[in-house]
Amino acid sequence: MKKNWFLMFTLITALLLAACSSDDSSSQSSNESSGGSKEVESLTYASLTDAVGLSPIMTNDSASSNVIEHVYETLFERDAETMEIKPLLAESYENPDELTWVIKLKQGIKFHDGTDFNAEAVKYTFDKLRDPATAAPRASLLEPVDTITVIDDYTVEIKTKYPYGPFLAALSHSNAAIVSPTADQKQDLMKEPVGTGPFKFVSWTPGDQVVLEANPEYRDGPPAVKKFILKVVPEVSTAISMLQAGEVQFIDKLPTEQLSRIEGMKNVNVEKVNGTGEYYLTFNFSRPENQDPEFRKAVASAIDRDAFISKLNGLGVRSDSVIGPQVFGYQDTADNAGTPYDLETAKELVKKNGYDKRPITLLTANRGNFVLMAEVVQAQLAEAGFDVQIETMEWAAFLDTARAGNYDLTFLSWSNVTADGSELLYPNFHSDNVGSSNRAQYSNPEFDKLVEASRTTTNQEERLTILDQANRLMLQDDAVVVMYHDVVTAALSNDLQGLILDPTGKWDISAVTAK
Amino acid sequence: MAETVALTSIKKEKKKEKTFIVITKRLLKNKLAVAGLIIIALQIAMAIFAPFITFHDPVKQNLNLSELPMFSENHWLGTDNYGRDVWSRIVYGARISLIVGIVAVTLGLIGGVILGMLGGYYKKLDGLIMRIVDLLFSFPGILLAMLIIAILGTSLINVAIAISIWSIPTCARIVRGSVLSIKEKEYIMAMKSLGASDLRIMFKHILPNAFAPIIVFATMRMATAILSTASLSYLGLGAQPPTPEWGAMISQGQAFMWTSPHLTIIPGIAIMLTVFAFNVVGDGLRDAIDPNMDIQ
Amino acid sequence: MIAMIVRRFFQLIFLLFGITFLVFSSMYLAPGDPASMIGGPTATESDLEAIRDDLGLNDPFLTQYGRYIANLAQGDLGFSYQTRQPVAEAIAIRFPNTLKLAVASMIIAIIIGIFAGLISALKHNSWLDVTSTTFALGGISIPNFWLGSILILIFSVNLQWLPVAGLSDPWWTAEGIKQLILPAITLGTGSAAMIARMVRSSMLEVVRADYVRTARAKGVKERSVIWIHTLKNAMIPVITVIGLNFGALLGGTIITEKVFAINGVGRLMIDAIAARDFPMVQGSVLLIATLFVLVNLIVDIVYTYIDPRIKYQ
Repeated sequence: MKKNWFLMFTLITALLLAACSSDDSSSQSSNESSGGSKEVESLTYASLTDAVGLSPIMTNDSASSNVIEHVYETLFERDAETMEIKPLLAESYENPDELTWVIKLKQGIKFHDGTDFNAEAVKYTFDKLRDPATAAPRASLLEPVDTITVIDDYTVEIKTKYPYGPFLAALSHSNAAIVSPTADQKQDLMKEPVGTGPFKFVSWTPGDQVVLEANPEYRDGPPAVKKFILKVVPEVSTAISMLQAGEVQFIDKLPTEQLSRIEGMKNVNVEKVNGTGEYYLTFNFSRPENQDPEFRKAVASAIDRDAFISKLNGLGVRSDSVIGPQVFGYQDTADNAGTPYDLETAKELVKKNGYDKRPITLLTANRGNFVLMAEVVQAQLAEAGFDVQIETMEWAAFLDTARAGNYDLTFLSWSNVTADGSELLYPNFHSDNVGSSNRAQYSNPEFDKLVEASRTTTNQEERLTILDQANRLMLQDDAVVVMYHDVVTAALSNDLQGLILDPTGKWDISAVTAK
Repeated sequence: MAETVALTSIKKEKKKEKTFIVITKRLLKNKLAVAGLIIIALQIAMAIFAPFITFHDPVKQNLNLSELPMFSENHWLGTDNYGRDVWSRIVYGARISLIVGIVAVTLGLIGGVILGMLGGYYKKLDGLIMRIVDLLFSFPGILLAMLIIAILGTSLINVAIAISIWSIPTCARIVRGSVLSIKEKEYIMAMKSLGASDLRIMFKHILPNAFAPIIVFATMRMATAILSTASLSYLGLGAQPPTPEWGAMISQGQAFMWTSPHLTIIPGIAIMLTVFAFNVVGDGLRDAIDPNMDIQ
Repeated sequence: MIAMIVRRFFQLIFLLFGITFLVFSSMYLAPGDPASMIGGPTATESDLEAIRDDLGLNDPFLTQYGRYIANLAQGDLGFSYQTRQPVAEAIAIRFPNTLKLAVASMIIAIIIGIFAGLISALKHNSWLDVTSTTFALGGISIPNFWLGSILILIFSVNLQWLPVAGLSDPWWTAEGIKQLILPAITLGTGSAAMIARMVRSSMLEVVRADYVRTARAKGVKERSVIWIHTLKNAMIPVITVIGLNFGALLGGTIITEKVFAINGVGRLMIDAIAARDFPMVQGSVLLIATLFVLVNLIVDIVYTYIDPRIKYQ
């Protein structure tokens, strides 16, 4: 018996030692070897999905953007704190007239392959992005562009087909990042990206990880993180366990259900920022029953949004406003401008108009908080007397079904990358986009006019007023029921600091240092 | 001639009756099997009398009373994330698991037995049937189910169909295997030479001999069907919410494994008990059917 | 034997052809548009139309299928819609991980399965039998995504003995083996239980067979009765299960790879289905199907050695 215990003890010790020693060798967090400097030897981020590709021109997904934003840079960027647009690769810009944008570029910047960053590179990138032969997923970003002219090495002139207010917002979008023309002609940027950013590309094992390294020649000095690894971990619980075990140092988009678990971990800090994204219930306006304003009012008054938000563990901001608090065009008076929760009103309307006799399908994607919303709202609508069945679908089928308009009610979300109200209202609710991105098939001529004005006006004060009017029009109409505005989250190993978390859900690790 | 036929059939009847009693007796001597039978009986009772043994509507939410722990007032198994009574959901879930399992297994068995018998018995058909079986089989089960559900849409009926198709090839291979090993036996050869019809040989003589592996397979499949439903729910392709399906309950509860582990563990135990019960009963049956088995 | 192998080879071609058609038509019928998966929710209709044109998705079904088959006949698996990289390349990166996982799980399953099954059968109805049966049934009734996360919680997060996820180190290194342990147990448990039950059933069946009784009556030692007479005969259903299960294992890798963040073909496949990346789905299914057929060919060959009564013409 004694012998057995001894054996067991030896075995466990051996295992523990093995585990510890290997932990040291594979330890990815900060190092003390460089004499207390702020340098971080390597930082690993767990990504739920793999990047589709590493070229800003050919991709439009967040996993790719996470890499692209660290390797490439855009002409303009949005300040994460103030949400104002400021030049990045650009030096300055001016508008001689409503249709013309003259952009001066910073000088002396080189791409990672040694190519000079100049007006030619800008023209090359933008022409490629908008060329129909490229079939770029976000060609529409430059849809208003008419001509691009190189004035001199560091000046480029862009003419738009019509006055276009959110143009700078479009240029700060990561899909409008500037690529090295020589590299693009020589190699496939989807596999080997070359930009001007603070990180250089090292390797990509598709499905496994992307490895970047600090760019020693970066103009503001190289970042403290020497090696940045973006590792694919498709299961969020696994990613959280890896964070706890120290195998990764950084995860984002924390699931609401597991927030308390992460907050309870001793080795990480949770960071939160109110976001620009939102989740809302929408009606399919192509169905005549849904065009009845009393029906929409009944639905809106039956949904207790406060009760729902209490389920989000603080990761949701309550406001009726379609244009969220972090988005340009928001006025705080719109917070309570929608139809309030009032179960009695809902019940009365249901009874009066016989809505209980109409079977309603509530379409929902089977991911993230969509299912949570569907379950809660289905129960609340049933409480008011509606006859609602949930229909969940996988994402691809959902996108197709919603686009085709085969539903009564559904939940949609919009992560507003440019943080501009026009970029929210135009694609999602303008009648131009019925049959494509306007999945509600909402069509209101008065509203359309306001949205158009918000896009063509270049005066920002005026735009604010116009967007607010459009916002209120939708709320009066009960066109959507806003469930919540999101809170952007990340968890970072607590020996690190300096993560920049953007309300749009983007983040930047180039300022991360050891504590 | 006619007399002898009549005589044999009477003998057979008697033999059958006797066999049934013997099998039941043997089965009841097997303690594990008896435990399994009790669990299954309880589950069936739960499924039938669900409204009488629960005090809450299984889909009724109460967001103020969510994630209650076990042994709370009014909710002895606690409540889930939406404040729904876990006990009611487990009881109503028994219905769903049983129905989905039975439908999926029955469909799969019908297809599998037919294909397996034909393939094992007729050499000419064997090639073609085995190619069909291979085609179905070389698809990973979950992938096949995912493709079927992608086309048909997410629902429990489609899950049952998908799972049944996925059990056809396994069943067919097993049946074919036993047919192959029995077919060559002397008494079957003898019967053939005496002019017995193929159908008669297949269903009267070979099928009963393949009974043990089929029973073992069917019981295991009942288990697998319930687990597969859970796996599909885990991938978001199972029951439509708020249906109280056990597998869906596990995958929903998984997000709360660190705060309210009972939300995963209770439906997990329900599944395990059911699976266990079907397996031990199948096992016991198998032993009992076997006439040469020593029962101690 | 050689004739059989040649015949099987032709059958494989027929099979792969059938599979491409099945996958192609089901992906075609399933709702969901590859273009909107590439463009994302922010893409406009004109963006999507350009993508569809570029991928040839506007062509009629038979044109698309014909194009695929023509390329396939030349050994070209095509390009991924999503990443625009060659499908063969994407699979080649991931396949070693899946194979590693499948083989490791099978080894675990066979060892545990045969051992537990033998004990059950030899000590029929004893407490050892009950324990091992209960254990086997427990293994088979645990959903593997659930088991996986429990194992991670215990051995990686709390005890910190084994890494949480990943399979990037070579298998012959200590680190590589440690990475394999949890996923292989997760995936192998179900098969182990299945093998244990089959070993038990068939052993019991053989034990009471006449020739074994005769051997016993003749006074052959118990141990050689087991090894020579029974185990060999009992191997037929066991090998069937192993052959069958290897396919199921490859399928089971889908969930295990997801839980343990393993960069394998299973995960590639579900991601491809979700993204409606048809060429990628086709490529990975073809690979798994081919493997499956090869494993079963080997199983059939082994049959003829173990039971000479089964013959292949």
